[in-house]
Amino acid sequence: MPLPAEHDALFRDWVNAHGGIVAKIVRAYSATPADAADLRQEILYQLWLSVRSFGGNAKPSTWIYRVCLNTAMTWRRGLTRRERRLDRDVSPVAMAASDRSPADAASERDLLDRLYAAIHALPPFDRALVLLSLDGVAYRDIADVTGLTENHVGVALTRARKRLGQLMEGIVDELE
Amino acid sequence: MNWNDYEAIWKRQPPPVGASADIAALRATFETKRRKLAATLLVRDSLEGFGGFVFALVFAGVAWRIGSRGWPILAGAVIILGISLVFLRDWWRRRRTRPGPAAPLLVRVDDELAELRHQRRLLANIGLWYFLPYLAAIAVIGSTLGRVNRGAAPPGFLLTLLTTPATLAWIVILFAVFAAAIVWAWRANRDVVKNQIDPRIVELEKLRREVQP
Repeated sequence: MPLPAEHDALFRDWVNAHGGIVAKIVRAYSATPADAADLRQEILYQLWLSVRSFGGNAKPSTWIYRVCLNTAMTWRRGLTRRERRLDRDVSPVAMAASDRSPADAASERDLLDRLYAAIHALPPFDRALVLLSLDGVAYRDIADVTGLTENHVGVALTRARKRLGQLMEGIVDELE
Repeated sequence: MNWNDYEAIWKRQPPPVGASADIAALRATFETKRRKLAATLLVRDSLEGFGGFVFALVFAGVAWRIGSRGWPILAGAVIILGISLVFLRDWWRRRRTRPGPAAPLLVRVDDELAELRHQRRLLANIGLWYFLPYLAAIAVIGSTLGRVNRGAAPPGFLLTLLTTPATLAWIVILFAVFAAAIVWAWRANRDVVKNQIDPRIVELEKLRREVQP
């Protein structure tokens, strides 16, 4: 069941304009490079399929966030037990630490690695909220993506930010 | 460090390397998944749904040939048809109610949770709505055939049938296949509940609890 050419064109536009959303979500929801490649492929695949049902009622970025986060949150089902075990063995903290050398310990990249590691350690739904919030998505749009009410977004986000702060402190302590 | 620092780090990150829109690769993935899904559905629907329709049709034909005395066979065929319709109705219900790929996260989580609980309920009660009616239908059809043929060909069609090695072998094979199919279906369903449905329900319930205000 091939898609019409205009759907392919729209998909290309989305990926060119919002490829960063895909990349950030992939990084936040995968622990190893192999996982990342697998998840990226799955997200792009689901995004490509979703073009057919895009009616233009939602903002493309909101639509893309929804599809990407839905896919990322359900993607783990496809992992085998062995892969889940490997996934657990490679903790985000360990990944962040392994990239770190004394020379660039304070560098921007290191801080970003720590931040991604902390985000990765959050529960899946909190991860989604934090990603949306860090990307500057408005409460109303976060509510639209997640299905929560705006008030509930505020409450949940406060809790997620607190958890993120605790995780960041833990990661910094562990690395130091 | 606080949230403002995290935001600052996040905003200063170099533009992430996005994804490339390799349509040919996506089409290939699509075709592979479509073929795999089609094969899985074909096997399942053939075994569970289409098989029932064929059985019902065959027994309805037998009942029609026998005439008025064959009405219990027709009732058995209706029962078998009813079981197939349960599968058809469930397939149609799922098709109509499934949320789209861009539905809000909570809607998707709730929907999947509801669907898994529904599937679990169906599988937990499979003896009531699947095995029992099937066995009842087979019992009704078998006893009616025996009754009809006993009077038709003394000393009894059934006796002749059971004492002819070739036909007896066919009957034994038929019952063995039927019994094996029931055992296979029961074990497959039990494994699906234990290994796939229950762990996923636990996972989703945990996710749902996390977003409670």
